[in-house]
Amino acid sequence: MKKVPVTSIVLLTFIIVGCLLGDLLSGTDPYYMDFSEISRAPGEGHLFGTDTLGRDLFSVIWCGGRISLIVGILSTILSTAIAIVYGAAAGLASSKIDDVMMRFTEILMSVPQILFVMFLQAIAGDATVISISLIIGVTGWMAVAKMVRSEVRDLRNTGFVMAARTMGGGFFYILRRHLLPNFMPTIMYMIVTNIGSAIAMEATLSFLGLGLPMEIISWGSLMSLSQRAMLTGAWWIILIPGIFLVVTLICITETGEYLRTRNKKDRLI
Amino acid sequence: MKNKVTFIAGKIGQLILSVFIMSLIVFFVSRLAPGNPLRAYYGEAIERMSPEQLQNAEQRLGLDDSLFTQYFRWLGNALHGDFGISYQYKQPVADVIGQVWSNTAWLTGISMVLIFVIGILTAVFCVRREGKLADRVMCRIGVATGNVPEFFVALILILIFSVTLSCLPQSGAGTIGETGPVDRLVHLILPVASIVISHFWYCGYLIRNRLSEEISKEYVLMCKVKGLSETAIIYKHCLRNIMPSIISIMAIFLPHLLGGAYVVEIVFSYPGLGKLGLESAKYHDYNMLMLICLITGAAVITANILAQTVNQCLSPEREEERGQML
Repeated sequence: MKKVPVTSIVLLTFIIVGCLLGDLLSGTDPYYMDFSEISRAPGEGHLFGTDTLGRDLFSVIWCGGRISLIVGILSTILSTAIAIVYGAAAGLASSKIDDVMMRFTEILMSVPQILFVMFLQAIAGDATVISISLIIGVTGWMAVAKMVRSEVRDLRNTGFVMAARTMGGGFFYILRRHLLPNFMPTIMYMIVTNIGSAIAMEATLSFLGLGLPMEIISWGSLMSLSQRAMLTGAWWIILIPGIFLVVTLICITETGEYLRTRNKKDRLI
Repeated sequence: MKNKVTFIAGKIGQLILSVFIMSLIVFFVSRLAPGNPLRAYYGEAIERMSPEQLQNAEQRLGLDDSLFTQYFRWLGNALHGDFGISYQYKQPVADVIGQVWSNTAWLTGISMVLIFVIGILTAVFCVRREGKLADRVMCRIGVATGNVPEFFVALILILIFSVTLSCLPQSGAGTIGETGPVDRLVHLILPVASIVISHFWYCGYLIRNRLSEEISKEYVLMCKVKGLSETAIIYKHCLRNIMPSIISIMAIFLPHLLGGAYVVEIVFSYPGLGKLGLESAKYHDYNMLMLICLITGAAVITANILAQTVNQCLSPEREEERGQML
């Protein structure tokens, strides 16, 4: 039995609250570009220094965190919804249809998510918070769907599900009433971890210049400045947003890991 | 013997079917693209073409047929090795990819081997000290490194080794004019290191859990009673027994590894499939993206089927279990 990861939860709460309050906390406008104060090192006036566009890094970080968290949560909601419906449908279907549906997810899983996201983002054109969340959500549901499916496979022969089916309960009724409450605790940890990987995916994408543009501040788009910062040796522009990102990801993983060991069902995926 | 033949034939059939379905998905996704597919062939020249020219071009490329007809024509060409022209490079996509794929293969191959070795070593290290301080510290370090996105690891490594210490090259696959293997290896150090650092724990952790399960079995106690050393038990008996699991883990892990390798390639501007993919995405070069997706997917599926076959040979009695793990 693992202990409750107090440090992670406290840190995570701190980051979330900080991101929600954002501007109030720092007192400066994150979008304000002061061209006389470009790439200032951390010190007086600017706690974390300024970036290559002259924005105050301290307020930019909290503001950027808000967008990153929104993308993480939105895309996870979408991917979880797809995963639950798809997984439950496969789990309740006859074994032949189930087999076909699972083969299909396996084929989708064999292409790295980043490649799919690049492909779809190229098609969608200029990225916005909504489009990027949609794309990350649409490409990230397969692992959860597999887990939901194997849970539903175990549940489908229980008395209450059979009773509901013989009495003519519809798919969504059974899903909501009988299946969801039963498999939710098992997949909860994956949902939490998915938020983390969605945030990392957004950061990677924005960093590569395919995601959110510079004007929409997120941790990723902030770090896309780092190529330029590297040449001038402005380490704080690279390290500070990166540390925030990594700390958030570690805290999310630790929380997810705790949830997993609490409902111990060890599966490979 | 006949059993083996049908087994292999079945696997090959599975491979072909999977790649076929993937090509369907990729083709239809690429046709979701808004705007005129003619733009993909002609680029900006399209604005200077007259309506008749446009219609002719459309007919010649078969764009006025139904999507399914188009798909089967595309598939027919693809089977002859013709995947279309790259809008960005003005060359057949297969040729462009033919020039760079080996770079990606080297990068991923070396990283894979290193992750395999480091994963097993750290797993053994942790299991021998399970629950003790060293194990907990190692797990912490693993979780931390595993959560750092690849691009950030790459940036930090560049910052340390290229900018500050300036002892390792920052980009490319080799210095221009130099072709020796040493030069290529030097250029591989940082990319491989970034991939290994951000991914080794994914394998290490799964192997660790599997090994700690194995080590509590009764035959291990038996070996101890007979006086075998711990090293001998772990390396000669336990690791051999869990080898099928390790191979499955590595196969499942391959898409993550490739995704990570693509990102790292882009950060180091290492000429490979990932960098090509990003450029193609930026320039809306869908023919190229389709082929990159197909190659990657086909490689992963092949690796999975290979892993299943190897596992089948290693321990034939557990066929059912293997089949479910992709």
